[in-house]
Amino acid sequence: MQEEQSPPALDASAASLVQGGVHNKLGLLTRQLHDALRELGYADRLRSSADKLPDAQNRLSYIARLTGEAAEKVLTLVDDAKVRQTTIVSETKRMRQSMIADPVAAVAKGHIMNYLEEMEKSTEIVDQQLTDIMMAQDFHDLTGQVIAKVVSLASNLESQLVELLLQTAPPGAVPVAPATEPVPEAANAEDAWAAALAEGASGEVASPAHPELSGPVVDPQGTPNVVSSQSEVDDLLASLGF
Amino acid sequence: MANTALRFLIVDDFSTMRRIVRNLLKESGFSEADEAEDGVVALQKLRSSKFDFVVTDINMPNMNGFQLLAEVKSDEKLKHLPVLMVTAEARKEDIVAAAQGGAAGYIVKPFTKATLEEKVNLILKKQGLA
Repeated sequence: MQEEQSPPALDASAASLVQGGVHNKLGLLTRQLHDALRELGYADRLRSSADKLPDAQNRLSYIARLTGEAAEKVLTLVDDAKVRQTTIVSETKRMRQSMIADPVAAVAKGHIMNYLEEMEKSTEIVDQQLTDIMMAQDFHDLTGQVIAKVVSLASNLESQLVELLLQTAPPGAVPVAPATEPVPEAANAEDAWAAALAEGASGEVASPAHPELSGPVVDPQGTPNVVSSQSEVDDLLASLGF
Repeated sequence: MANTALRFLIVDDFSTMRRIVRNLLKESGFSEADEAEDGVVALQKLRSSKFDFVVTDINMPNMNGFQLLAEVKSDEKLKHLPVLMVTAEARKEDIVAAAQGGAAGYIVKPFTKATLEEKVNLILKKQGLA
């Protein structure tokens, strides 16, 4: 059996020299990239995209917050509704037994009337809870619009970097273009955004949003000239005579 | 009491939101409703069938809510229709533009059932349709 040979250990000074070399190379590459970006006029474009990254972070936080709140709201409502439903079932069974045992007494003692009143209240509350659960799904629309904007930013950044890569490729390096298939036109917003998410890397994003529209406000405090509630909308319209 | 014979057109690119608005209108007594996923489809439906009320999003593909509003208000046969904007666009300039473009009301998302009911009923009252 052959004895394994371990690589010779670097002494401290040799390791320091290697580290220094790597550091210098990284510095040189960074300088070359910086100069290339400046000479090719990419610096400003990339900086513009990079400046939007904190906005993307805000938008992703907004999505996380909205989806989290919706999930929490729905689960709380379902918990409460299930307790109420259990009570309805047990009370109905009890009333049925009472009716079988002594129907005259059940009516005369007011048990039936009390039961009906309780059922009316409970079912009204459950109905309201179902409406609230439905309303909680509005996050889908709002987060969908925000996701489209983030995908668009990532796509722009990527296409700029790819363009830079192609322009700075060393002579003789022939970039192989990835096979691209035409993206089918999305029939609706959900499809468009799903396509955008899947397509991401191909440059053009199939975002249905018109760029001039800003979409949901993810940071009302930090965004000037936006309303943060329906009452502010109503006040603004009233000031215009509507 | 809601005029249950009124027919609504709900325009939104998200089917979830169309479904929510449709269900809320139904709960408020308006069960006659149709849906469109953008302004282009909405205009086709408005021109080929009778509607009494339009509830529309703004940020949509192909034709957005502002463009739809402009088309409706410039069409002799449609301009009487009340158009309620229900949107996530919260810039004041958008609200002012909608009002100046002839929108009957403006609701910002997320909204409540009470808000939608109140605005619809207010508009119907103003139009003499309540």
